[in-house]
Amino acid sequence: MKPLQTRAAARETAPPTPLISFRRIDLSYGDRRILEDINLDIGEGEFVSVVGPSGCGKTTLLRLIAGLARPTAGDVILDGQPVAAPSRKVAVVFQDYSKALLPWRTAAGNIALALSAMGVPKAEWPDRISALLATVGLAGDGDKLPRQMSGGMQQRLQIARCLAQEPRVLLMDEPFGALDAMTRQSLQDEVLRIASTRSVTVFFVTHELEEAIYLGDRVVGLYANPGRVAQCFDVGLAKPRDQLSTREDPHFLSLRHELFSFIKQA
Amino acid sequence: MARYETIDRLFWFAASLGFAAALLLIWEGAVHAGLVRPLFFPAPSRIWAALVHGVVDGSMLSDTVVTVSRTLGGWLAASLVGAALGALIGLSRRANAYLGSTLEALRPLPPASLVPIFVAVFGYSEQMVMAIIAFGALWPCLLSTVSGFRAVEPRLYEVARVLGMGRPSVLFRIALPSALPEIFAGMRVGLTVSLILVVVGEMLGSRPGLGLSILLAQRSFQSPDLFAGIAVLGLIGFLTATLLNAVESRLLFWR
Ligand SMILES: Nc1ncnc2c1ncn2[C@@H]1O[C@H](COP(=O)(O)OP(=O)(O)O)[C@@H](O)[C@H]1O
Ligand SMILES: [Mg+2]
Repeated sequence: MKPLQTRAAARETAPPTPLISFRRIDLSYGDRRILEDINLDIGEGEFVSVVGPSGCGKTTLLRLIAGLARPTAGDVILDGQPVAAPSRKVAVVFQDYSKALLPWRTAAGNIALALSAMGVPKAEWPDRISALLATVGLAGDGDKLPRQMSGGMQQRLQIARCLAQEPRVLLMDEPFGALDAMTRQSLQDEVLRIASTRSVTVFFVTHELEEAIYLGDRVVGLYANPGRVAQCFDVGLAKPRDQLSTREDPHFLSLRHELFSFIKQA
Repeated sequence: MARYETIDRLFWFAASLGFAAALLLIWEGAVHAGLVRPLFFPAPSRIWAALVHGVVDGSMLSDTVVTVSRTLGGWLAASLVGAALGALIGLSRRANAYLGSTLEALRPLPPASLVPIFVAVFGYSEQMVMAIIAFGALWPCLLSTVSGFRAVEPRLYEVARVLGMGRPSVLFRIALPSALPEIFAGMRVGLTVSLILVVVGEMLGSRPGLGLSILLAQRSFQSPDLFAGIAVLGLIGFLTATLLNAVESRLLFWR
């Protein structure tokens, strides 16, 4: 770890070194080219939303950062090192939360899975677990089994388990796609709050353009067949964001307009 | 809601008891009316008397103990081997490549057809009977365990990779609990198979136990004893299955 001062000093002279960097990434499955010449830098603490037509390779891009997929050519650099395998620094919130939780463990037990993998001493588990449950709004639900929880609660639990990893990077793959509008909005705000209080870098895949703008510091739009970075939109809306006023902000609306026409031609 | 369900279940339980009682009454009546020959179908009251007699003189009890311990011993051994081998094949592509076709070839063999081989190897001994039981009860558990381990949700393995979990941890915290329902399903079938084969084994190997007693009763035309033995075997099957169900619903509380 560099001392804080050096970092701050470096920032004045040169752009900060990115935490995540896609360098000339190609990825093919058999003869099919899925991703082509992806070049993308993501700064520490940045919230990047990724949008693009279905099947354009959003999930694949996310899996590259997680170390769950390997590129055919090029490197994904994380914190100065090429990604070769999954690491606990990077947590993944999977789209299908019901498949990503252990159905035989309670909410507390599912979080304990991560704490145990992290080597946290058992004596600290109860406090850590209740703090994490409270963070995601599940205080008092520790004894529930996943099947006793709604979809929104299960996704909250998956987020809590990811936070137990104390990750520097949080990868989220259409995490709220299956949830109703109300639940979705409250989870959006919680993710924003968590991301800013923990200064974690977020890579957020979604097919909802408004969600992408509402959450992101930057929205990356992808083309399909093969997947390429088409355009990056700097969001630049004030933080903290607000479900009502942010969404009514003229800048929000013009971004939304821009993004819609981009998606239509993509 | 729950109360109505309980009442409903009680009603059907009582109904099935009533049906069985009615059957027994008709049977009893048919024997007394001379409609069936008591040599083949002795009256239930005679069977009951034979059962009581067997319990009092101790022969029924010792037969039951011997047969039950054989059944459970063979079944447990088969379940352990089946689950371990099944886990290996279900988890390791290499083990599957080496063992897969051999096991596929052995699987369809009826255990009874292997009796001559077991006799040749073990003689008419206790080991021979155990070998028949264990061989027969192995397959249900093995096959079901293989499919249980193959069906583990791939997403959970990815969760494990992201968390950097070690191999033993993945096996005991993810794969085994996932496969447990199927392992149990296999063990349940294995238990039924064991009970069938213990009778076959005792008859073929002339080993004392309920199976042999039934055979001897038949040879000496003691049909009440024959039916008493069958009734006890039925009871054993019922009780062991109930016990297994209880253990299963404890262990798989999360389903
Ligand atoms: N393991 C794989 N093997 C072969 N093709 C795959 C694999 N994973 C993804 N693909 C293909 O890659 C393309 C991009 O997939 P994905 O990244 O899931 O897209 P998105 O998340 O944007 O919908 C899809 O056409 C998909 O069929
Ligand atoms: Mg996807």
